[in-house]
Amino acid sequence: MQQPKGSKTEIEVTWEDQQNINKFGRLNNRFHELEDEIKIAKENNESLEDASNELILSDEDAVRFQIGEVFTHMPREEVENRLEEMKENASKVLEKLIEEKESVLAQMAVLKKILYGKFKDSINLEED
Amino acid sequence: MSSSTSISGVPSERRGIPAATFVEDVQTYLTQSGLDANSALAFLQERLQQYKIVEMKLLAQQRDLQTKIPDIEKCLDIVSTIQAKKGATESPAGGNISSAVDLIVDFELSEGIYSRARIENGDSVCLWLGANVMLEYSCHEAEELLKKNLENAKASLEVLIADLQFLRDQVTISQVQNQHNMVITLLSLSASQFVSVDYIV
Repeated sequence: MQQPKGSKTEIEVTWEDQQNINKFGRLNNRFHELEDEIKIAKENNESLEDASNELILSDEDAVRFQIGEVFTHMPREEVENRLEEMKENASKVLEKLIEEKESVLAQMAVLKKILYGKFKDSINLEED
Repeated sequence: MSSSTSISGVPSERRGIPAATFVEDVQTYLTQSGLDANSALAFLQERLQQYKIVEMKLLAQQRDLQTKIPDIEKCLDIVSTIQAKKGATESPAGGNISSAVDLIVDFELSEGIYSRARIENGDSVCLWLGANVMLEYSCHEAEELLKKNLENAKASLEVLIADLQFLRDQVTISQVQNQHNMVITLLSLSASQFVSVDYIV
C-alpha cells in the first residue's frame, strides 16, 4: 500500500475501515503464499506423472523407491500402488489450494470495492 | 499463548508483541498522552522498527519449522515401512518367523556415491535426537515419538503463523496511522509544523 496521494481530504479512518484494511493485507499475503504453494504442488504432480511413466517403460522387477533419504528395493506392484496413492494425494492437495486461491481472490475483490468506495483516491490496493 | 484483551475485544498485546493503538481522533489522543505531534510520530516510527525486528525473527523461526517438518515426515515414512515389513513377515500361518525378505536399500555414502545395505528384520531403530545424541527405540516407540514430534512441530507452526498475522496487522495499523491521520492533523496545526509535513509526504 502506498502513501495516500490526496491527503488534503478529510476522510477519517474508522476502526471498521482499519479492520478491513488489515483483512485485505492478510488476504494479499495469503494469496502470494498460495501462488508459491500451487507452483510447488504442480511440480510435484508432474514429477509423479513422470515417475509413473518411467515405471511403465522400465523392465526391472525390483524398483528402487525413495523413502526418506534411502532407496529401498521394492517389488514392482507395490511401487505402482504407492505411486498411484501419492498421485491421488498430490492432485487433491492441488485442488484444495486452487479452491482456496479462488476464495481469497473473491474476498479481496469485495474488500477492494468497499475500500475504494470510501477512500477513492486516498488508497492504493494494487500490486506495485 | 498470552494475550490480554482490552474492552473492544482486541488483544492489547500478544506473546510479548504490543498492539498498535488505533487512534480515531488524533486531537484527543495527543492531549491524552500529553505528547506533541512530533514526538508522537517519533514514537510511532520506533514502534514500527521494533515490529520489523520481531517480524524477521518470527520469519526465521517459521523457515526452520518448515524444513523440520518434511524431515520428520521422512523419518516416519521409513519407520512405518520397516514396521510394515515386520508385520508382513510375521503374519503367514505356519509360524515361519525368520523372514526371507529383508529390506535392501541403496543409501548415500558420500555425494554421488551410493552403497547397498540389507536391513534385517530388527525390532529397533535408532533416532537422532540432536546434540550428538542417538537413542535406540523399538519400532513402535520410535513411531510414537516421531508422530508426537510431528504434531508439536505443526502446532508450533500454526501458532507462529497466527503471531505473524497479528504482527502484520499491527504494522498495517501503524503505517496507516502514520500516513493518514497524523498528516491530516499536522496540516491543521500551526504553521511551524509545516516543515515536518513536507518531510513526511
